[in-house]
Amino acid sequence: MNIWEIIIISLIKILIIVVMLLLTVAYSVYFERKISAWVQNRVGPNRVGWLGLLQPFADVFKLLFKEDIIPTAANKPLHTLAPFIALFVAFSTYAVIPLGPPVELFGYKINLVVADVNIGILYVLALTSLGVYGITFAGWSSGSKYSLLGGIRSSAQMISYEVSMGFSIAGVLLMSQSLSPVKIVEAQHGWMWNAILQPIGFITFVVSAFAETNRLPFDLPEAEPELVGGYHTEYSSFKFAGFFLAEYANMAIASALIVTLYLGGWQVPYIEKLGLSYTLTTIIQIASMFLKIGALLFFFIWVRWSIPRFRYDQLMSLGWKVMFPLALVNIIWVAALIMIFNL
Amino acid sequence: MPTLTVDGKQIEFKQGETVIEAARNAGIDIPHFCWHPSLSISGNCRVCLVEIEKMPKLAISCSTYAAEGMVVYTQSEKTLQARNAVMEFILVNHPLDCPICDEAGECKLQEYAYAHGKGESRFEEIKNRKEKRVQLGPHIKFDAERCISCSLCIRFSDEIARKNQLTFIKRGDKVTITTFPGESFDNSYTLNTVDICPVGALTNQDFRFKSRVWEMSKTNSVCVGCSRGCNTEVWVRNNQILRLTPRHNKDVNNYWMCDNGRLNTFKTVNTSNRIDGAFIRKEGMLQKASLEKAVLFAAKSLKEFKSGEIAFIGSAYATCEDNYALVKFAKMLSVTNLAFANHIIPGDQDDILIREDKTPNSLGAELVGIKSGPGSLNLEGILKGIREGKIKALYVMEDDPASLSDEFEEALGKLDLLIVHDTNQNRSTTLADIVFPASTFAEKNGTFVNFQGRVQRILPSVATAEMDRALDGMEMSRWDKFGTEFDRWNQGHKYDAKPSWKILTMLSLQLGSKMKYEMAEEIFSEIANSIDAFKGLDYDKIGELGAQLKIKQTILK
Amino acid sequence: MPVQKRKKDLNIFGKLYIPEIVKGMALTLKSMFRPNVTLLYPEVRFDPPASYRGRPVLVQEPNGTGRCVACGLCARVCPALAIEVQAAETELEKERYPQKFEINMLRCIFCGFCEEVCPEEAIVMSKDYELVFANRNDAIYGKDKLLVPIDNLRARLEFLRKFK
Repeated sequence: MNIWEIIIISLIKILIIVVMLLLTVAYSVYFERKISAWVQNRVGPNRVGWLGLLQPFADVFKLLFKEDIIPTAANKPLHTLAPFIALFVAFSTYAVIPLGPPVELFGYKINLVVADVNIGILYVLALTSLGVYGITFAGWSSGSKYSLLGGIRSSAQMISYEVSMGFSIAGVLLMSQSLSPVKIVEAQHGWMWNAILQPIGFITFVVSAFAETNRLPFDLPEAEPELVGGYHTEYSSFKFAGFFLAEYANMAIASALIVTLYLGGWQVPYIEKLGLSYTLTTIIQIASMFLKIGALLFFFIWVRWSIPRFRYDQLMSLGWKVMFPLALVNIIWVAALIMIFNL
Repeated sequence: MPTLTVDGKQIEFKQGETVIEAARNAGIDIPHFCWHPSLSISGNCRVCLVEIEKMPKLAISCSTYAAEGMVVYTQSEKTLQARNAVMEFILVNHPLDCPICDEAGECKLQEYAYAHGKGESRFEEIKNRKEKRVQLGPHIKFDAERCISCSLCIRFSDEIARKNQLTFIKRGDKVTITTFPGESFDNSYTLNTVDICPVGALTNQDFRFKSRVWEMSKTNSVCVGCSRGCNTEVWVRNNQILRLTPRHNKDVNNYWMCDNGRLNTFKTVNTSNRIDGAFIRKEGMLQKASLEKAVLFAAKSLKEFKSGEIAFIGSAYATCEDNYALVKFAKMLSVTNLAFANHIIPGDQDDILIREDKTPNSLGAELVGIKSGPGSLNLEGILKGIREGKIKALYVMEDDPASLSDEFEEALGKLDLLIVHDTNQNRSTTLADIVFPASTFAEKNGTFVNFQGRVQRILPSVATAEMDRALDGMEMSRWDKFGTEFDRWNQGHKYDAKPSWKILTMLSLQLGSKMKYEMAEEIFSEIANSIDAFKGLDYDKIGELGAQLKIKQTILK
Repeated sequence: MPVQKRKKDLNIFGKLYIPEIVKGMALTLKSMFRPNVTLLYPEVRFDPPASYRGRPVLVQEPNGTGRCVACGLCARVCPALAIEVQAAETELEKERYPQKFEINMLRCIFCGFCEEVCPEEAIVMSKDYELVFANRNDAIYGKDKLLVPIDNLRARLEFLRKFK
């Protein structure tokens, strides 16, 4: 493969990922509304298209046609930049998540990942840490007390939960002895899923992922009853859509990350024993990846419509006094496993 | 002073007072229907029964004379039981039509039934049917079913109006009130019976069904129908006067006022011929202009005349403040021709309330200086001066000289300049070159001096364009308090008018004077400082009931 | 304020909130499979029970006259000052009728006090809940919109007889 081929293949992969991500986001918004309706014994969106399936597009058009307002007290450059940071972080993280095993296509051996980076997990952690800037900038630059409070809450929350998130991941890294997502997935062959081997780490990571994505019960940065809309109070039209998009993209990424790190990625346990053809196996594996992500997305939404928001002090004490020690316990647990079973 | 005990309280009384009077003077109100402080005692309603020690039975407090050492209980169990029973009897034949009845809200029967009644009736039979909507007189409609036969109206027309026109007929529960055969209840004071009627049996034809009493605001004022100056309350809803009622003032009108004053004096406030905004004559036609423009034009026009060519006509309809401002304004222009017209209907007078001087403030106008001095012209002199061409400009405030006589009207046509302030269009305003819109008695603060030399306050009850009910401290009904510009019930018209003294102040500023009044009260304090008769008075001292001026009895006619 | 001691402190397991969270999630999961309670509004319309308080209306007798005698009690009791009544005299036996009866539907809060206070059972709460206006003036309903034939209000009148 020469350099041009690599570039073209990468561009095609990027295009596919972006389109898929956008579709996922659009339909997770749709399912967010549908599932909330089911939980509350309602019908949900059902006007645009069959069963309301075109609702997300209607929403997007509505948002785009709204007036773009920049408050007079706002810092204009930062106010405009903030949603783009959020969007950039959300989309670029996806580059290192493997969607399936390597496939042979038109004579090329293609990895189903945009970039198989050997420090992929570090890259993810680095980028998600950048995500906080989008929100903090949005909060500060809006020139509104609600936005500012939302931004501050968000940064404090993200920093707190990133600690336990990092320590949870440390357990995974100990197991796979690699920072490459592809290797991590491969290390979880059979039922050697990290979720089973290190359940404590799995729980702390999932909880931290909720906190990192600002989803309920940790959506304090945008807590409507107290902060109007939090950091995006002063946003409208396309820029608001940017944050909206980023939130759901983050959700999808968090799901993909959980699948990759703890639920065996694209692997289906013992599928090789069924003796299926190579092509079918690959298709099933890719499908299982999407199924796992979908199930997690459903879980995210289901949690949102079941659990009320934490109080801020509860959020902090949960993060530092419960999640952090538990993540440490997990590391010791994993180390002990490795020592005892010599994995 | 002898004392008696009412409900454990020692009360002093004057010899000859009844128990109900003595208690009332001490602030203890004993329920009563047929008793009125100014009328004879009838004692037929029985609701004022009280328990008195050493008396074998309960006694009606309205006809029991207070005696030394008497011990009265108005709230004892026996009294309350009796009161309950009396209320039940009175209500036996009283229709339950409070929703329709105009008296509801100020009905004594309603109040006592609420306070002293049981809340239900044991009377299951059909109530008596009697005549409804009987036209007793030109202003009064009578509902016989509602009547509780207290006889107050009969005693009033007998004793106060001194026209024996009403009487009871029939007996028992069929008893009803009617006029004597061939007579109509048409004396000059009939509407007072509506006020004293404890129920809604007698209703005011003019006010009937216009408004519920609780929807109106009421403001203390003085009747402008004659020089008696009866104390009144002005009832306003949606910036419109709906009725006037007399206010007790024992030195002026006691509890009463005449039908003419009650019905006709407020009709000029909200009529189609009100002057709404200033007018200037252009190309022979009176055309609407802003007040500022009219003031500028008037100032410019006045400057063209020598002071000897100008005359001022004040008004006995205007307040002391307005007249004083006019006097000052005339002085500023060095004009000495200053007069006002009397409006006397000879013989239209009685010894009850009505006076033949049909203006509220002729004495006040004279006292503040509307009179011709030595070497200046009086009213006839002004008329003569105009006809001879000596007077070329006339300034008329709140009066209608053209209506005085045909000669006057003709003379007004000869003037080079006629400026008129008035509330309503009249023969003079149609001849005027400049018309200023004046506020009526219901739209301004001020004082009137009645024929007794008693200075009394009027207060604004109707808002003009420049006023805000809340900010100007006017009385407000619930509707006024909570109404917004979007509520239809809050859109009563506000006329673009100003008190005459305000217009004169504006005008004088254009002519370079230092007349800078902001409030009527400032003018009055200036009057009090400069005119002996008013010395030491201010609005607070005049209060609700007025104050007697220190003037020689000879001035009083 | 003295620090109140809890009856029972949560243990470490409780502090994770996990049992309660699981309980809550189970509940929401269960309700996902329950039948819907909402109606597809413009196609399917809600027919409220007699106890429903829709917009207030005036009862019109079969002979075409309204029951209202314009006593003004509804206007007085209305906490939102939505009602304006102007009485006038009529030749009918009731003597008094509302020359003008206006309810400002933007002010109305559907509390039903007017119905409760009405001595003539003349104003009642209807089942009408579809109130749309394009400007403030349209929201002021006059007698033309308020008078409703008694036959359409039987259910409410019966309800009032029974429970008022």
